[in-house]
Amino acid sequence: MRKILVIDDEPDVVSYLSAFLEDEGFQVLSASNGPDGLALAREERPDLITLDITMPGMSGIEVLTTLRRDEQLNGLPVVIVTGVTSFDKLTDYRDVRGPEGFMQKPIDLAQLLSTIEGILDSSR
Amino acid sequence: MQIDETSSLFPEKVSFEDILRSTPCFLSVQDRDLKIVATNEGFIETFGDARGRYCYEVYKQSENKCRECPVEQTFLDGKRHSMEQLVALPDGSNIPIVAYTAPVYGPNGEIEAVVEISADITPVKRLEAKLRESRERFRLLFEEVPCYISVQDRNLNIVQTNRSFKEDFGDYVGASCFEVYKHRGEPCLKCPVAATFHDGKRHYSEEVVTSLDGRQIHTLVSTAPIKNPEGEIEQVMEMSTNISQIRELQGQLTNLGLLVGSISHGVKGLLTGLDGGMYLLSTGMEKNKPERVQKGWRMIRRNVEHIRSVVLDLLYIAKEREPEFEPVALKELAALIVEMLEKRAEDLEIDFQVDLAEDVGTCEVDPKSIKESLVNILDNAFDACRVDERKDSHFVRFSLASEGDDAVFRIEDNGMGMDRETRQKVFSLFFSSKGVEGTGLGLFTANKVIEKHRGVIDVESEPGKGTSFIIRIPKVRDQRVEA
Repeated sequence: MRKILVIDDEPDVVSYLSAFLEDEGFQVLSASNGPDGLALAREERPDLITLDITMPGMSGIEVLTTLRRDEQLNGLPVVIVTGVTSFDKLTDYRDVRGPEGFMQKPIDLAQLLSTIEGILDSSR
Repeated sequence: MQIDETSSLFPEKVSFEDILRSTPCFLSVQDRDLKIVATNEGFIETFGDARGRYCYEVYKQSENKCRECPVEQTFLDGKRHSMEQLVALPDGSNIPIVAYTAPVYGPNGEIEAVVEISADITPVKRLEAKLRESRERFRLLFEEVPCYISVQDRNLNIVQTNRSFKEDFGDYVGASCFEVYKHRGEPCLKCPVAATFHDGKRHYSEEVVTSLDGRQIHTLVSTAPIKNPEGEIEQVMEMSTNISQIRELQGQLTNLGLLVGSISHGVKGLLTGLDGGMYLLSTGMEKNKPERVQKGWRMIRRNVEHIRSVVLDLLYIAKEREPEFEPVALKELAALIVEMLEKRAEDLEIDFQVDLAEDVGTCEVDPKSIKESLVNILDNAFDACRVDERKDSHFVRFSLASEGDDAVFRIEDNGMGMDRETRQKVFSLFFSSKGVEGTGLGLFTANKVIEKHRGVIDVESEPGKGTSFIIRIPKVRDQRVEA
């Protein structure tokens, strides 16, 4: 079963995405902050990570850059799921590989699923 | 008279009489009775044949002597006199003239007659009127201009002020500008007035000055030199425009912009929460998973409640209500709040500790807004506990006590706490500590409310450990709390 790691500081978003992805047949792991998410990613090697941007402490962008710079983790596909609309905010990851997917909240479930399936299919 | 003997004019070609006759003014000679005995051409042309008539008959068309008559004066003291008068022309109109009189001595040294020369000074009068008019216009401008004008001399002493200035800073002509504007004992470091005295150019600056009644006023100051006819700078004019309102509007606009940004972000979170709740609810029912149904339903309720708060907070801010003060028994108010929130604490499994002192008594507050503010802060405390996953058990302590002249509310929690950056932003509009369900508006309005009560809110917090909000309100309304 394919594993997805959901990183978001809002418990409601985690419940939502977890329930949905489990229903779609994924095994779901979750973390509510960057450091926990990174630790979980190292331990469990999920097939894909969904990542929120605005989190207290370590932001989603910092998590992304850390993932990309880590030799063991930089192959992991990342889908950013965020309420942030201004793309200029997100240019600080320009010096590493960008996310494989980008979703805005409120979440369009169908689109999320097809994005995830698309990424996982192509990475096989 | 001095005559050039070598000239061939006198007395063959031209006599003194000819000259007198032709002199371009009104010339008359009067005897002691003020009767006109001789006049020149100019006089005759304007007033007609006046011989034998009293000068006041002719000039004033009056049967009585003028009260102040320069001719009479001259007869009395033998000196020259002059006077401005309005004289009547035969056609009934008046012209302004200036009359000069001089004594004419007879052979035995007595003043036999007085000669009066008058000139029509209508053009002069017209100019005078124009000057008066323009002076008056300038004075009005100076006085009525809706900004502060003061004129200072080289010692920075105020020599003149306009109405606006007097209204807000008092009539302190003679005092120095730094005393009046800034309540200082010595000149300001970068005084634009001094700079203008120095280089003769206009200078500009932005200053915060204090009015008579203690208000801080933001002003835009410009100075200009006032030169005397020799071109030396004697005084400097200082003109200040009150831009306090603009600065406040600027602040409000900035806040509004931030507000819109933060709301849009917050609303997305809410919608996601509602979507999530509905997904859980409907799939839970489909798949017969009662736990999921419960979870979904709670999510929906919570987010709907949250939307309510955001909207109400927004409306509150938009309305900018003025507080309506009334005497309130604070302990009872606090007890009401506890009642409201007990269930929520129970649902969240938070130990709600309450300690309300008996002796706080009655204070003048706006009960509605104080209640809302305290509820907001307590809600925040609950949320901080709810999202804190590091501890097994959580408490929120709500206390009320009397401290000197203040009533002090304390709201402590052992929730997720805030780091220094978050703590500094906690009352600003864009504050939305993620994880905590605060709308960012509740604390902002709470702070404003406490400010309107002349109180203060202090925040102490440690990330991971917890937070304390300390709300001090003066018991007597007129006092400001010492921070």
